[in-house]
Amino acid sequence: MSAVAEATSVYLQEFRELGRDEPAWLSQRREAGIQAFEAVGFPHRRMEAWRNLKPGALTQQHFRAADAVGAVPMALAPTAALVPDAWRLVFVDGHLSAGHAVLDDLPEGLTVRPLRDAVVQDGAMPEAHLGRHAVLDNHPFAGLNSAFWADGALIDVAPGTVVDRPVVLVFLSSESAAHRASYPRVLVRAGEHAEIRIIQMHAGPDALPYLVCPVTEIIAEANSSVRLNHIQEEGAAAFHLGLVHAELARDARLHVHGLSDGGKLARTDIFVNLAGEGADARLDGLYLVGDGQYADYHTWVRHQAGHCSSQQLFKGVLSGKAESVFDGLIHVHKGAQKTDSRQQNRNLLLSPRALAHSNPRLEIYADDVKCAHGSTVGELDREALFYLRSRGIGENDARGLLTFAFANEMLQLIGVEALRDHVGQRLAAFMPGDATVKELL
Amino acid sequence: MAMLEIRNLHAAVEGEEILKGINLTMNPGEVHAIMGPNGSGKSTLAKVLAGHEGYQVTAGQVIYEGRDLLELAPEERAREGLFLGFQYPVEIPGVANTYFLKAAVNAIRKHRGESEMDAMAFLKLIRERMKLVKMDEALFKRPVNEGFSGGEKKRNEIFQMAVLEPKLAILDETDSGLDIDALRTVSEGVNALRSPARSFLLITHYQRLLNYIQPDFVHVLVKGQIVKSGGKELAQELEQSGYALFEENAA
Ligand SMILES: Nc1ncnc2c1ncn2[C@@H]1O[C@H](COP(=O)(O)OP(=O)(O)O)[C@@H](O)[C@H]1O
Ligand SMILES: [Mg+2]
Repeated sequence: MSAVAEATSVYLQEFRELGRDEPAWLSQRREAGIQAFEAVGFPHRRMEAWRNLKPGALTQQHFRAADAVGAVPMALAPTAALVPDAWRLVFVDGHLSAGHAVLDDLPEGLTVRPLRDAVVQDGAMPEAHLGRHAVLDNHPFAGLNSAFWADGALIDVAPGTVVDRPVVLVFLSSESAAHRASYPRVLVRAGEHAEIRIIQMHAGPDALPYLVCPVTEIIAEANSSVRLNHIQEEGAAAFHLGLVHAELARDARLHVHGLSDGGKLARTDIFVNLAGEGADARLDGLYLVGDGQYADYHTWVRHQAGHCSSQQLFKGVLSGKAESVFDGLIHVHKGAQKTDSRQQNRNLLLSPRALAHSNPRLEIYADDVKCAHGSTVGELDREALFYLRSRGIGENDARGLLTFAFANEMLQLIGVEALRDHVGQRLAAFMPGDATVKELL
Repeated sequence: MAMLEIRNLHAAVEGEEILKGINLTMNPGEVHAIMGPNGSGKSTLAKVLAGHEGYQVTAGQVIYEGRDLLELAPEERAREGLFLGFQYPVEIPGVANTYFLKAAVNAIRKHRGESEMDAMAFLKLIRERMKLVKMDEALFKRPVNEGFSGGEKKRNEIFQMAVLEPKLAILDETDSGLDIDALRTVSEGVNALRSPARSFLLITHYQRLLNYIQPDFVHVLVKGQIVKSGGKELAQELEQSGYALFEENAA
């Protein structure tokens, strides 16, 4: 089979074959999406922002968009029900699984709707925002998403509405998604003074290859607060390539907490535009990368107005022949005086064959700013290991304890207890030894 | 049977020989003190006995309760009753003292074929032993040694020893950097744990410790060798003459 990467038109062809009956504005945006993808095709080494990613098998076959909702795989039923006290939409293979939705008693001022319905029912809002923020040039998979998305969620929080329960969006792949693609799309707007937490979860079965390209756009209006827990635990053979894009108005606050713990090849780009004075963004991420996996976080934090602050803390744990990338941009515009921006990336290598790339990028065009960054790649501390072992703790358990200690800081930043416990279990499964994480937390 | 027999022990670090033929025999219940100038190899001896992988034994033997100690991994030595009080205890951010010590206690119990200690019994044991070393309960909830003062770290070492109840305790300069109150507390802790079945190897730089803990034997370690052994009066002698005399002899 010839490399599909060069013959990108299989996706264009697929696009042309889909006859969709949609509002004109939406058709235009889909068209822009496929054109953006066609312009660059799949990433290759000559694309600076994609040079570490080896798409490999991704380009060797055509992942056709899944065209129907699949069944929730049995093993993932608990994942679909994660965080019990919440409003919820569950999607399987990119399509709404209506029976799993929990949207009773939504408070006044909160709209949560499948995106497919929303583009009809809430016409003005999606027309004003959907695809208007995420930049497609840099991200071929965002282009594919714009062209192909079948469903997703619209979350609209009216000004002054403080939502006291999280909204959980679960995107699962099923066994019928083998060699198929899904393109989850999320649009969030928080009105002035509004507050909301969203949990976006991606998971799928282990044994089969599939492609997931999610795009989330967040518009945080003045003095609003948006928290997003973004969890990637796809199956072991999956490709997950997506982005989160947030626009922050004056005094808006954003906290994104990412977990990347799955997939054969996973990359999430987080774009944040601090567009209004006093906005604050906090990006946290933990990536657990096992043998043969590739995980990648790219952050693009752009200070466009003065007196904004941003903090980034990303930690990676790599075992076997794992590879990871953290690439973090802090861009400070000329007029963004009094910017306070920090970025930390720390990597723990549990194996000599693991490879962690850490690439902080600072582009600073204002003169009165504070920008600090740091990055480390290291192994477990030998003296600490010896100290634990000298007390009778076995070598594997000692390695596990120290791995836990390294990652624990990220768990404590998750902000939702049920989710923290879930991630704790994932961490326990990943780390050496059999320390009981329940007691550690 | 001797508790510990060190025979002609040679050890190197990064290719450089530090221990050059140590001989030492300790019986159950005995307290031995090892004194010596900085850099003479005291900590090297302690770490070799505890199984630190950074030190290579190039010759000699160590027999612990009739078994070859050097064959055992560090955790196996600990489970068999050996304890090292570190000269510089390690900080482990992110792991609470509680969890750490419980894991240690249960690893040792498992090795002995005993069941895991339940939470209530563990807490009771902890409270009791904390009193022994006058340790602040708040410290116990904190991450292992993180942000502890020098004195608090040393107290924590003695506290761990009191909980783990070793047969052979090697205390590497546990007295260094302690003010007199802390030194008294630490010494009282050690004295309370003295028993006919338990031996101590006290490594110290200062004779002062031996005013509080009476050793049965004193050894002088210079340049990787024991150059003189004697009773507790040897410590007084050292206090007056210093190590200079021995260093000349060893050279
Ligand atoms: N990990 C190490 N790496 C290199 N040299 C070491 C190491 N540990 C000890 N040494 C060297 O071994 C010698 C003895 O050190 P040590 O055993 O710490 O002495 P003491 O405890 O008596 O002060 C010193 O010369 C010291 O520099
Ligand atoms: Mg020393």
